[in-house]
Amino acid sequence: MAISEPTDAPDDGATDADGGTATADSADVASETATGEHYLVEYLRGHVAHAFVVAFFGLYPFAHTFLTGSLVGAEMAMFLPRVQTMITVFYFGLFAMSFDFISGYTGYLSFGHSAFYGLGAYFVILVANGKVPLLGSGTPFMVLLLLAGILAVVLALLMGSVAFRLTGVYFAMITLGFAQILYVFFSNWDYLGSNPRDGIAVLGRQDGFSIGVPYVDSLNMSIGQLQGDTFTWGMDFAAMTGIDALAPISHTIVLGPGEVSYYMVGLVVLVCYFMLQRIVHSPFGRAMIAIRENEERARAVGYDTFRVKMGAFAISGFFGAVAGGLFTGYRTSVAPENSFYFLTAGDALLASIIGGFGTVAGPLFGRLFHEGLHEFLTKEGGGLLPYLRSQLGEGTLNTVIVDGFTVAEAIEVFLNGRAGLYIGLLFVLFVLYVPNGLLGTLRGYLGGTVAGQVAAAVKRRVRGWKL
Amino acid sequence: MGDQVLRTDGLTKHFGGITAVDGVSFALDSEECCALIGPNGAGKTTFFNLLTGELEPSEGSVEFHDDDGWHDLTGLAPHETASAGLHRSYQITNLFPTTTVRENVRVAAQAHGNATSRFWRNVDAFPEYVDEAESILERVGLSAKADDVARNLSHGEKRQLELGVALAGDPDVLLLDEPAAGVSSESVDEVVDLIRNVARDHAVLLVEHNMDVVMDLADRIAVLHQGELIADGPPTEVRDDDAVQEAYLGGYDPDAPTASDDGGDGSGTTGEDGGGVA
Repeated sequence: MAISEPTDAPDDGATDADGGTATADSADVASETATGEHYLVEYLRGHVAHAFVVAFFGLYPFAHTFLTGSLVGAEMAMFLPRVQTMITVFYFGLFAMSFDFISGYTGYLSFGHSAFYGLGAYFVILVANGKVPLLGSGTPFMVLLLLAGILAVVLALLMGSVAFRLTGVYFAMITLGFAQILYVFFSNWDYLGSNPRDGIAVLGRQDGFSIGVPYVDSLNMSIGQLQGDTFTWGMDFAAMTGIDALAPISHTIVLGPGEVSYYMVGLVVLVCYFMLQRIVHSPFGRAMIAIRENEERARAVGYDTFRVKMGAFAISGFFGAVAGGLFTGYRTSVAPENSFYFLTAGDALLASIIGGFGTVAGPLFGRLFHEGLHEFLTKEGGGLLPYLRSQLGEGTLNTVIVDGFTVAEAIEVFLNGRAGLYIGLLFVLFVLYVPNGLLGTLRGYLGGTVAGQVAAAVKRRVRGWKL
Repeated sequence: MGDQVLRTDGLTKHFGGITAVDGVSFALDSEECCALIGPNGAGKTTFFNLLTGELEPSEGSVEFHDDDGWHDLTGLAPHETASAGLHRSYQITNLFPTTTVRENVRVAAQAHGNATSRFWRNVDAFPEYVDEAESILERVGLSAKADDVARNLSHGEKRQLELGVALAGDPDVLLLDEPAAGVSSESVDEVVDLIRNVARDHAVLLVEHNMDVVMDLADRIAVLHQGELIADGPPTEVRDDDAVQEAYLGGYDPDAPTASDDGGDGSGTTGEDGGGVA
């Protein structure tokens, strides 16, 4: 149920709606590809769900601007995460995806996954500050992301060669140990900066980090809260911004640094998502799932499970470091607390559980849910607290509920700085009642992977559908 | 009888002070179905684990014969013996529970190609494994259940799938650990037919407690008792062996009618098993 593969996905759903049998349906798919219908058409047809999600994220900044400016603007500002929050959802979502790639697909809980995030994060800043030998401080950001990933592959192989001797909680503990060693090391290494415990910031690089084609200035856009580029529609490099931006942009629209960062970080995350998704649906991915399902049997049928696990861990580490690199590329500062610290992996676990353990995109949605809720429950960026304070009249606020305890005080007690409490409670409820997470539950309901089932459903409903 | 395909020499396994398998020298022919019997704790499963590499022998060797001659399998890992062509099924059903029946067999078949390292290709680019899975499912009688999730199968179907997974990748030798374990007496005949079918083109080493199944299927019987091979020969000879009767069979007589065997259909009955196992 949970792991139905795309080949099965159309089969499961096709039994009654079409009148066609399972075999007829899959034969249909095969013949279409065989009769040489354009590959791109075939591809897009199989990715309807992805197109919807990409369109959603692509339109989000505009929708956000529009809705918060509308009649119900205050309510919308309360509910909708800000664009800058969405950027953190992107890069941390990628980290959570990389965590889930190893933990959700092979069943090995990589509790020290923050090691890769921290490695990528520190690597980018250290290069930018000229502290890494052989690499100039002006090395293109995209090259840095790639190098950070490769470095993480090396670290993953090192960690894995020790940790994969064990299973279960012992594996988790070993990886955690590695991450904590790095955490302590990076908290105390004077070479990094004057006060490594408080973290480091980019010093030597004023133009920020840009995403695009390395060494081609016109095909790059800077990201960052302050250094980010602005973008006016109508210029030649429109195509470069990709599918994300194409649909909604009209020539009158100017994107600020936040929106540009949003699209560029989102683009990298999108590319990484498709790479992870491709791997999950490869023979290698199936071997990973076999290990999660039953490692003893996977070994007995002929899989060198150690090699598969090492490979999966290396891939996972690669994307974890890319996520860390995006994090500092956008924030231009990093501290041991928000990178190498083990609770970073804890947040990734949270995102994976909420979004759906053992799904590719689930952790991103889990993080979106987490961040969205967090913002709703905190004062930053328009949440419930400021909304109530501004919307409830003075009279209501001063109303005594019981024993001199006013509404204003109640809001203060129950809402101010209590986000963690409610998120913790919600996490407990999620584990109890939605153990498969958002995407996992949807998958169970649809009877196959969400992307596969949506594509199959669209194909059934829209007869003779051609693009 | 064909040529030897698997042989052990002085195979021994100590667990601390206990010797679970004690100097077993055994050979399996490429076209035979040999049953390995013995009371619980005789070392049958340990012997299997030594053959497949799940345990490393304390002494002795395991050798395997293929087209290129004899290969030493001693101390190789399970995935290496599996690649060599030695597959096993498990006494306690051991499947990939949340994947489909088809995927269970397909992923087992995939282990025997070089596709696994191709992480950038879609799994649909390798239809040969799906084809192999389909033909195996047909053989074990699970074609109609191909899209079902493995853990939702009935016990008997799980036993069939257990065998199907072992068949994937075209092994030369099948080690079947109590394939009829827990199967109701009415369904035992189906399992027997299936094993007989499989034994036509595989060398089979079968651990089984049900003596009717053993007598029905085996070309040869080997008896383990306290880790030692105490008898090895044709079924009738082994059955009449005094030491075997003493150690295991406890007066088994295939022709004697028993309370639950009034139909005379040769299916296993608890009376015989209980006597032997106790």
